[in-house]
Amino acid sequence: MDPILRIDDLCKAFGGIVVADHVALSIAPGEILGLIGPNGAGKTSLFNLISGVVAPDSGKIHLEGREIDGLKLHDRARAGVARTWQHMRLFRTMTVLENMLVGPRGYPGESLLASVLGTGRVRRAETDACDRAMSILDRMGLAATAEHIVVDLPFGQQKLIGLARALMNDGRLLLLDEPMAGVEGSNYLTMQRVVHDEAAAGRAICVVEHNVGFIKDLCTTAVFMAQGRILQRGTVEELTHSRELTELYFGTAEAH
Amino acid sequence: MEYLASTILLIGIFVILAASYNLIIGYGGLNTVAHPIFFALGAYTSGLLGAATGLPAVVCVLAGVAVAMAASFVLAITTLRISGDYLLIASLGFQLGLLQLVNNVEFTGGPAGLSSIPDTFAGPGRGAIYVVICTAAAALVVWAIWRTMNGPFGRAVRAMRDDELACAALGRSLIGMKIRIFALGCGAAGLAGGIYAYYFQYISPEQFQVAQSAEILTMVVLGGIGTTLGPIVGALVLVVLPQAINFLHLPNGLVGPAQGIIFTALVILFLFLRPGGLVGTAGAGAAH
Repeated sequence: MDPILRIDDLCKAFGGIVVADHVALSIAPGEILGLIGPNGAGKTSLFNLISGVVAPDSGKIHLEGREIDGLKLHDRARAGVARTWQHMRLFRTMTVLENMLVGPRGYPGESLLASVLGTGRVRRAETDACDRAMSILDRMGLAATAEHIVVDLPFGQQKLIGLARALMNDGRLLLLDEPMAGVEGSNYLTMQRVVHDEAAAGRAICVVEHNVGFIKDLCTTAVFMAQGRILQRGTVEELTHSRELTELYFGTAEAH
Repeated sequence: MEYLASTILLIGIFVILAASYNLIIGYGGLNTVAHPIFFALGAYTSGLLGAATGLPAVVCVLAGVAVAMAASFVLAITTLRISGDYLLIASLGFQLGLLQLVNNVEFTGGPAGLSSIPDTFAGPGRGAIYVVICTAAAALVVWAIWRTMNGPFGRAVRAMRDDELACAALGRSLIGMKIRIFALGCGAAGLAGGIYAYYFQYISPEQFQVAQSAEILTMVVLGGIGTTLGPIVGALVLVVLPQAINFLHLPNGLVGPAQGIIFTALVILFLFLRPGGLVGTAGAGAAH
């Protein structure tokens, strides 16, 4: 099966700090790939390179066979790169539903004139987007929060809404930056279930997490990064049992 | 009667200016002080065109709107590289530089101003006609901004104000939105300028100084930043209040300082006690 994301020989340095050192990586449909590694390994930087927040120094990024490394941030989202943020970055003055409705790709309401005139096409797109937003929220048990200002909700629910908003993009690639950190109880289980469902629906998912336990709960495969390099790829079990890598991560040879 | 007409006209002009400034700074979160210059561009373009060619007033005023919109593009593209406080400084340069130009070239009349603007709708009903036109224009501008900000486009603009990076990562083109926001807001200021020039038939650079953006900002803050009705209420209060102070028959030397103290006190009081303004809910106006 052709991979959804393919990265070849990607390099990026900020001055003397190398965040991507000849990174090569591919993610297949249905795969949930965990990125693990110590702080400063370049995990979030890799997300920023894929989603277009920063431009690479060299290397290629292909999404479903299409070269996207030259595209701007918003054009990559339109090409189908959906991402979440470690600190969520929700639109804090807006309701949950409004947050969701900024998410769809190629929204006709983007046109000022169409928006002012409220043409039939805009109204239909609006209705469709509302329906889709509500069904995503419903899957997460959050339909009742739709009209709440997003920052009034508990932290765990905000994390879920960060994922929900990214799902509005409906892209084939989903990048999740620490989706589980600080999420507990039923919200944790919801996050796990939704991520698994999205993979089953054929998306390629990449997850950054510090907690190896979370990675075990979420991911099918994982790569270990340090100093901008991918050191090893394998199942989560293989990586966490590798003596060399656990030493790099934890500083001791204690198997996890 | 003429006094009443000019007061109502000024209210209409400032409703347009405050509503359009609110669009840029309140909804868009784009910190600029270069609003009076677009008011000036509208006024000077329509006034000069009318004086030189004798074209119908409508055409001249629309030309003023077009020039203000085109000039706003320059300000919009600077936001590609700078934002926040830096945009504020760049906009200050834009305002001061362009007004200096108006002040120093010959064809604008320089500091002496432009007084050859044709008299349109001359006659006993002149004031009433202008009041109707200006009120209709103000209503149109307020309606257009309300529609814009309550549709999908406005939602994306508010998202941009809350978090630019997250908004762009959802596929929204920030520069595209900023260009449109500036074009709409500055075009409206140009419209206000055209009506102002044709009604008063005299314009000079000192009517469009940077301090005027403080006055318009006071209207926006007092009324309620990021709201539809706020700029209307703010413009109404801040046009009528100074006139009311005139009726107190204070000694001439006291009128200016009294107005300054009252307006400054109002802004400080509102920012501390009611940041949402007169029409906003407390706290809701905290756009930045």
